Amino acid sequence: MNRVLNLAAFNIRVLLSDPTWFFLSWALFALQLSVYGSLMSKLVGSNLPNYFFFYSIGLMIIVVFESAEDVGRHFVENAHEGELPYFLTLPISRSGFLISQAMYGIANTLLKVAPPLLAVLFVSGNLTVPGALFALLALFLLGLGITGIMVSLAFIAFKAVDIYLAVLAGLSALLVRFSTVFYPLAVMPNYYSPISVLSPLTYGADLTRWFLGFDPKYLLNPVLAAVVVTAIAVSTLSLSARIVDKIIEGVKVA
Amino acid sequence: MSEFSRLLLVARTDFSYFFRTKWLMAVLISLSLSDMLVTALVLGRMISPEYFSFLVPGIVTVGLFTAATDTGRRIWLALREGVVQYYMTLPIRTSGLVVAYIISGGLGGVVYSSALLIIASFAVHPQNILNAILLVPFMFVLATGIAGLAAFFASISRRGEIYWVYAQALQVSLVTVSTVFYSAKTIAQYLPGPIATIADYNPLSLAATVLRESVFSGQLLNTVVLSNLLETSLPLAALGALSYWVILRTLRLRGKP
Repeated sequence: MNRVLNLAAFNIRVLLSDPTWFFLSWALFALQLSVYGSLMSKLVGSNLPNYFFFYSIGLMIIVVFESAEDVGRHFVENAHEGELPYFLTLPISRSGFLISQAMYGIANTLLKVAPPLLAVLFVSGNLTVPGALFALLALFLLGLGITGIMVSLAFIAFKAVDIYLAVLAGLSALLVRFSTVFYPLAVMPNYYSPISVLSPLTYGADLTRWFLGFDPKYLLNPVLAAVVVTAIAVSTLSLSARIVDKIIEGVKVA
Repeated sequence: MSEFSRLLLVARTDFSYFFRTKWLMAVLISLSLSDMLVTALVLGRMISPEYFSFLVPGIVTVGLFTAATDTGRRIWLALREGVVQYYMTLPIRTSGLVVAYIISGGLGGVVYSSALLIIASFAVHPQNILNAILLVPFMFVLATGIAGLAAFFASISRRGEIYWVYAQALQVSLVTVSTVFYSAKTIAQYLPGPIATIADYNPLSLAATVLRESVFSGQLLNTVVLSNLLETSLPLAALGALSYWVILRTLRLRGKP
C-alpha cells in the first residue's frame, strides 16, 4: 500500500508542478459562466427557471469529464514516452498501479472542480455543508466512472493513437450533447431522449443538481441516478483493472 | 520551379495532410454535426423556434475557426518532433514556408466551413446563394487570420503541452465573447459596454453576422462588416506569420528555437 501511495504521490506532484492548467480551468469556468451562462439564462427565461444554476452544474460536469480524459491521455502519454515500461518494472501489483492512476485522477478532478463548486454555491446563496459534500461525492463517483472508461479506452492507443483520439473525441461529443449536461430531458425531442438516458453524464448531472436543491421535476429519479452512477464507477473500474492485468504486459505504443 | 510554385506545393501538401488526418476529420465532423443537429435543435426548443436558424450560421463559423486553428497544431507538432529541421532543408525561403502554412490554414478553414455550410443549408434554407459564393474570399481571409493566431501560440509554446492550454483558452474566450450564441443586442443589454465592444469586433462575430444577414436572410452584403472582418483578420495573420518566421529564422541561425 505504501508503494501505491508513493507512486500516486509522485504523479500528483507532477500534476501540481504545473498549476497553469488549474488556473486556466478556473478562469475559463468563470468566463463561460459569467458570459454564456448569464446571457443564455436570460434567453431561456421562464422556459427553464434558474437556468444559470442548471448550466453552472453542467459546466462542472464538463470539468469532471475533461479531468477524467486527462487521466486517459496521461496514461497514453506515459506509454508513448516510454515511462509505462518503467512503471511496470516497479515492485507494485497491476491493481496497485491502477489505484495510483485513479488517485491521480481523483486529485486532478477535485482540484479542478471543488473551487468552482464552492464559489458557485456561495455566490448563489446555496452553500450548505451537506449539499456541497454530497455534490462533491456525486461528481467524484462520476469522475471515477469516466476515468474507468478512459483508462479502458487508452488501450486502443496501444494499437493506434489516431483511432484512440478519434474515439475519444467522437465519444466526448456524443456523451455531452446527448445528455442533460446543458438541457433537461424534458425539453429534448422524443427521438433524442432515449439516447440521452444511455449517457452516464445524464445521471451524474441530475444527481448533483438534486443534491443542490434544483427543482426535481426537471431531473431524473435521484435513487436511480445514484445507483447508475455507482454502478458505472464500479463496473468501468473493474473492467480497466482486468484490462491492466491482462493486456498491459509487453504492449508497444503505436 | 519558381519560388511561388514551391510555396504552393508546400501549401498543397500541408492542406492535403489536414484532410487526410482521419481522426481529426472525425473530431471536427462529429463536433459540428452534433452541435447543429442536437445542441441547436434542443436550445431552439428551449428558447424559441427562430433560435435554431440563428445558431446554425454561428456553428458554421465555429467550424471554420476549429479547422483553421489546426495550423497551430501542425506547427507545434513540427517544432516539437523536429520535422521543422527537415522543412529548413527544402529549397524555399523561410518567408515562403511561413506564407505556405498560413495559406494552407486559410484553405482548410474555408473548405471545411463551406462543406458545413452546404450541410447547414439542408436544415436552414439559404436566401442568397450568390452572397455565399461572394463571401468565400472574406472567409478565407478570416481563416488565415485565425491560422495566424494559432501559429502565434504554437510559436511561443516553449514547454511540452502548453500549446493546448493556449488553444483551449483561445477557443473558449473567442467563442464565448462573440455573437455566435447570442445577438449583439442581447450582449449590450445585459453585459458591460467593454465586453459588448469586444464581442462586436470579434472576427467570429463579424463572420456569423454576415452569414446570418447575407446568406440566410438574403440582405445585401454589408460592406462595413466585411471591411471590419478584413481589418481584424489581416493583423492576426500578419502576427502569426511574423512569430513563426522569427522562430524559423532563430532555428536557422542557432539550430534551436
